[in-house]
Amino acid sequence: MSSTVLAVSTGLDFTFAQQLTVVVLCALTAFLAHLALAVFNDGVRPFMLDFVQGRTTRSATTAVSFGLSAGFIFGLGAPMALSSGVLNPWLLFLPTDILGLLAPKKWLAPLLGGAWGGVVVFGLNRANSLAHDLPVDFLTALQQMATPILFLFALFPVLAITKQFGRLLGGLAGVVELALVVLTMKVWPDVFAGAPAMAVGVLLLIGFAVARDVRQRRAAERAVVGAVPSAGGEASTATAGRPPGDADPMASLFGTSAARLRRHLPLFMVLGAGVCLLCQLHVFGGGEATSFLVAKGQYAEAAQVDFYRALGFIPLIATTALASGAYGIVGFTLVYPIGYLLPSPWLALVCGALVFAVEVLALSWIGKALGRLPSVRDASEHLRGAIGDTLHLAILFGSLMAAHAMGGGLGIFIAGGLYLLNEAMGRVVVRMAAAPAAVVVTGIVLNVLHWLHLFTPIKT
Amino acid sequence: MTTILTGGIGKTAVADAVRRLAPAGVEVVVSNDMDAVALLQAGRADYFLGTCQTGAGASLGVLVGLMGSATCHTFGRSVPSEDEIGALLDQGKRVFGFAVDQIDAIAPALVVAIASRD
Repeated sequence: MSSTVLAVSTGLDFTFAQQLTVVVLCALTAFLAHLALAVFNDGVRPFMLDFVQGRTTRSATTAVSFGLSAGFIFGLGAPMALSSGVLNPWLLFLPTDILGLLAPKKWLAPLLGGAWGGVVVFGLNRANSLAHDLPVDFLTALQQMATPILFLFALFPVLAITKQFGRLLGGLAGVVELALVVLTMKVWPDVFAGAPAMAVGVLLLIGFAVARDVRQRRAAERAVVGAVPSAGGEASTATAGRPPGDADPMASLFGTSAARLRRHLPLFMVLGAGVCLLCQLHVFGGGEATSFLVAKGQYAEAAQVDFYRALGFIPLIATTALASGAYGIVGFTLVYPIGYLLPSPWLALVCGALVFAVEVLALSWIGKALGRLPSVRDASEHLRGAIGDTLHLAILFGSLMAAHAMGGGLGIFIAGGLYLLNEAMGRVVVRMAAAPAAVVVTGIVLNVLHWLHLFTPIKT
Repeated sequence: MTTILTGGIGKTAVADAVRRLAPAGVEVVVSNDMDAVALLQAGRADYFLGTCQTGAGASLGVLVGLMGSATCHTFGRSVPSEDEIGALLDQGKRVFGFAVDQIDAIAPALVVAIASRD
């Protein structure tokens, strides 16, 4: 087996300090969600404005939050945690969003959040050992996901460049990344081969985006005399219509939101300290691919991967926070890479608090800067789209490999069949979550078949 | 001429879906939430179609806060019927969000309904 296959034996054995950190942090995140000061789900955040301003009820907002998060908790968070042995934000913070919003009383929110943290650290361990004892062990099989996720994730900058800047530059970026992966494997066999490739890919994307913005601003300055030039990128035709005045409703809404968040700066600093500490304890992976790297102890690579990923999320988190008055539970996700790399928990507490303080204080300025950089905002949307595309293939392929590891052709028949059935039925289950969910169902079915003496587990 | 803006993570896919239909009198521009606010408010665009993983808030970004919930509607991952879309357009909804894995089902239906209004 290649070096990328996980060496996790059981995982999910937490020390007391780790358990305490998870429980306390979950209590805190639920409390912040209750106060509508921060939510993890980027899709819920824009709806928080109506809640803050009293135009919707707590129960309606809770329903929105549950509807938007459930699929990602069971489809992404839980299978990822069970297969990697490392916690992730979808498993911890999506439920605390829901529980915090659900709690009718202020004091109840941290209790519910803390209880969820407890369920995760104690219950997951139990579920994990239980599943490993079954005749057909689907958790070990789920570790097949690691290789496709790690390597396909490295390609997301290439997809984003292709979508935003066309086939030529996209193809070029693809060739550069391939060369770097081959080179890394040859020269630095201990480094995750996708990390340098991803770094260069993201730098290329940002370089292209900034270059386009600079070019367009110069073109606009030159065209003061005549009409707006219709040539250039599609984004430019739209941006040209922006009125230069600052006294627009966007600026005033952004200002109010930023002021609301600044008023609660100490609370955010505690939150930042907690998230950074959790990352420093190396029981938590922030990004989609990071859990597997953290599980293998490749913290430098994990930090790189999450740092590049952050570039796709900073504009979204900043603009939704400014438009709603609610911040992200993990901020700009920059505390992830910092946490993985820091040598001591105490340092993580201090750095996490400082990073969140800087983020919240700079929010207003970041909003203004993003307003001037349309291509960078576009790049971030393409980045997030590309992350979804690469993950979709990686999770589907990894799930089929897992099904194959469990039950050979029969496993593929059941898991692949369930996935296709979901597609044919108009995607009842979110596309991303469908394949891992199918693997879990396949595992249960195969165990039942084994119990009926209709299936002999495959020896590995 | 009706101008439809697209945004969110599936914005090129939505624009492609609209162009494939090529309805008369409809033009599509790949945009984003912040630019769309300015264009919609200045009357230089008529509709916004946004996408994200869940088909909710992130598909519309700052639009929910700035255009107000009266003009915004999110389908989430559900696929609306022709009548539902018609009713929403009658209510004056102009900003729509849906999930990136339902583009093929929702974008054409919305565009056909919008094109038939003019």
